[in-house]
Amino acid sequence: MTRREHIEAQRERGRRSLAVLPVHYPKELLTALGVHAVELWGPPGAPRGDDAGRIQAYVCPVVRNALAFLASAAADAVDGVLFPHTCDSVQQLATLAPDFGGWSKPAFTFQHPRGSSRPSARAFLEAELRSLARDLEDFSGRRLDPERLAAAVALHDEIDRLRAALLDAGPRLAIPDAELYAILRRGEWLWPEEHLAELRAARAAVAAAPARAGIPVLVTGYVPEPMEFFDVLARAGAFVAGDDYAAVGRRVVRGGSAGATGWARLLARYASAPPCPTRVTDQPLRMRYLADLLERSGARGVIVHGVKFCEPELFDVPAIRATFGPRGIPVLQLESELESQLSAQAETRIEAFVEMLASGRAA
Amino acid sequence: MLRRARYEAAGRVVVPFLASLEAWQRRLRPRRAPRESPFGPPLESTRKLKELMTAHYYQGRYADGAVPVAWVTSGFPIEVLRPLGFHAVYPENHAALCGVRRIVPELSDAAEADGFSRDLCSYARTDLGCVATGRTPVGRLPRPDLLACCTNICQTVLYWYRALAARFGVPLVLVDTPYVYGEAKPHHAAYVRAQLEELVQIAERIAGRRVEPDALAEVTRRAKEGSVLWGECLATATSRPAPWTGFDGFFHIAPIVALRGTEACNAYYRQLRDELRERVRRGIGGLREERHRLLWDNLPIWFAVREVSTLLASRGFNFVCTSYTNAWAEAGSRVDPADPLGSAGAAYTHVILNQDLPHRLETLGRLARDYGVDGAVLHSDRSCKPYSIGQVDLKERLAADAGIRVLLLEADHNDPRAWASEQADGRLTAFMESFA
Repeated sequence: MTRREHIEAQRERGRRSLAVLPVHYPKELLTALGVHAVELWGPPGAPRGDDAGRIQAYVCPVVRNALAFLASAAADAVDGVLFPHTCDSVQQLATLAPDFGGWSKPAFTFQHPRGSSRPSARAFLEAELRSLARDLEDFSGRRLDPERLAAAVALHDEIDRLRAALLDAGPRLAIPDAELYAILRRGEWLWPEEHLAELRAARAAVAAAPARAGIPVLVTGYVPEPMEFFDVLARAGAFVAGDDYAAVGRRVVRGGSAGATGWARLLARYASAPPCPTRVTDQPLRMRYLADLLERSGARGVIVHGVKFCEPELFDVPAIRATFGPRGIPVLQLESELESQLSAQAETRIEAFVEMLASGRAA
Repeated sequence: MLRRARYEAAGRVVVPFLASLEAWQRRLRPRRAPRESPFGPPLESTRKLKELMTAHYYQGRYADGAVPVAWVTSGFPIEVLRPLGFHAVYPENHAALCGVRRIVPELSDAAEADGFSRDLCSYARTDLGCVATGRTPVGRLPRPDLLACCTNICQTVLYWYRALAARFGVPLVLVDTPYVYGEAKPHHAAYVRAQLEELVQIAERIAGRRVEPDALAEVTRRAKEGSVLWGECLATATSRPAPWTGFDGFFHIAPIVALRGTEACNAYYRQLRDELRERVRRGIGGLREERHRLLWDNLPIWFAVREVSTLLASRGFNFVCTSYTNAWAEAGSRVDPADPLGSAGAAYTHVILNQDLPHRLETLGRLARDYGVDGAVLHSDRSCKPYSIGQVDLKERLAADAGIRVLLLEADHNDPRAWASEQADGRLTAFMESFA
């Protein structure tokens, strides 16, 4: 089933669809209100139309491609768009497309508090969530009752539990990374219950004993594009043991909402999400998280897989190097421009990196 | 005590003495015939500006250990820190100075060697390079006790200041201003207000004293007055010919950025305003012959200000207004000394870079009308995404709405490696020829 077919199927069930820009947004609220989220990570490949040219070439391709996509007929299947605050570029896209052309359907924004540990930030987050909920109630024509919210939060807790189990499987995973990520990323547009069913089926692929060999690596970055990256990694003799992609692992909440109820449970989920530079969470906290992830996963090297011009990710690279360098953990930095295929140079670099890890030489 | 005395003496005695010495030497030097130039006579106030900023940076050399030191983003509500005696250092202002002195490539190299990408903001790379190497054109920057960051100009500053916090191991206080799409929501204003109250507590702890309400009100009043005075300076350019150029404004903006809320800042702008008004009265222009009037959008190209302004001036084109310098004049209208924190929240949330594109278009259109421009140059700044995204559309809309010619010029505000001089020369020349 294609995204468009799935959107149509949701519409037949009385659900309106919302295109959602990266990265973090309260999907639980959308689910509770019967709003179908279809995430827009570019899409990758060449821009779908001339509108990408309305944004300078020195801006991240996710934003340029998204403008082209929204402005083309390709996005007409959805009923609105949500722009979470992720970075300066997505922030500007959120006014450019609705105000200057490219998007004429409803547009919503959701702003994160940066530096979320302060009392003012926690209060702001709750107010912003409630404000978005009111907007979405109007959009969906439904009221957000506590039971629906509780059920949605529980559903996403379960989804995250299974996603975590798959991401943590490491050598015990009996399917290739490319297949795993295809399943995980279908969650970007499947209705959550259908995604849950696929995750449950995939859970059977986690074996009791190691099912695959190779060099375990930790991957951190924005979005795993092109997905061919995983095939190249596998051919080179490595697999993803630890995931810190903004699009994937950084959105997996591990047991954060247990014990809380209602809005408090939603806020607890948000607070428990892994640290992410797009939310400007504390950098030392993030480095400790990555170091723990490396240790937990047994990864022997780190691949920073970023998107060109992505400031939130780029600013953390020196800290990542400083975290792993002294431990003798090699770090490879790759940059993508949302190409539809991996360049030969990138492939060579991955191969050389894995070869170096296999030989036991530090960077 | 000794350090404090040295700090005070540096600003109050040494710099005025050096300025007097320079004036005396100047009087003794034989007068040279003025060089052929498309520009009008230089502003007398420029000497005072140099003295003021030299004093600021010279005094800063002796600030750490004498008074609490804060490194502050340009859009930070400094009014809260001034009553506590903080010496404020503005890394953006300092980075611009490095840009003018053309030392950014080597500083950026140092930052890049530490792992910071060349795709990051060149102000950030300049500053991080200064910190890494200790190299600065001002002799020495004092070590901060506090880093104070406001996100109203971009999110980039927060990443940059986090890197500084890691380097110096000092607290980072944040005033996070939600972006204004249309109208600011009540909970956004409440959030900013609450952060300002949190900021007061942290700053008081570092300074070891309390913020006196009267002192806060007085600094707020001075900041508002400074903003108004700066606006009056800019407004003199509505006259024909404009008594100065917009590029002059890029340099004379330094006190309202770095010394906002001080009497020295306001005294300077009174002097500048009076001089500009006198030039208007006498018909003295920023250019010898002003044939066309232009609007500039975005930050200056610091390392090429002279090059660009001379090229344009040689054909009688004068930038009479800029959205960048105007931003510091607009902030004051929302400031209210009777409600320092509440009004600071509103003022610092509603800066041009924290508002949506319709607001930006409205501002550019208003400037175009008020200053009677017949063209505009939008600097597409590789290092400033929030200022640059949307300019392709702004170009078309501004041209249609205001009936003026508009050029999009790609460059970088601080890194000359992203600047193609010949190409820019060609584009600007073709733009000017279109007015024939």
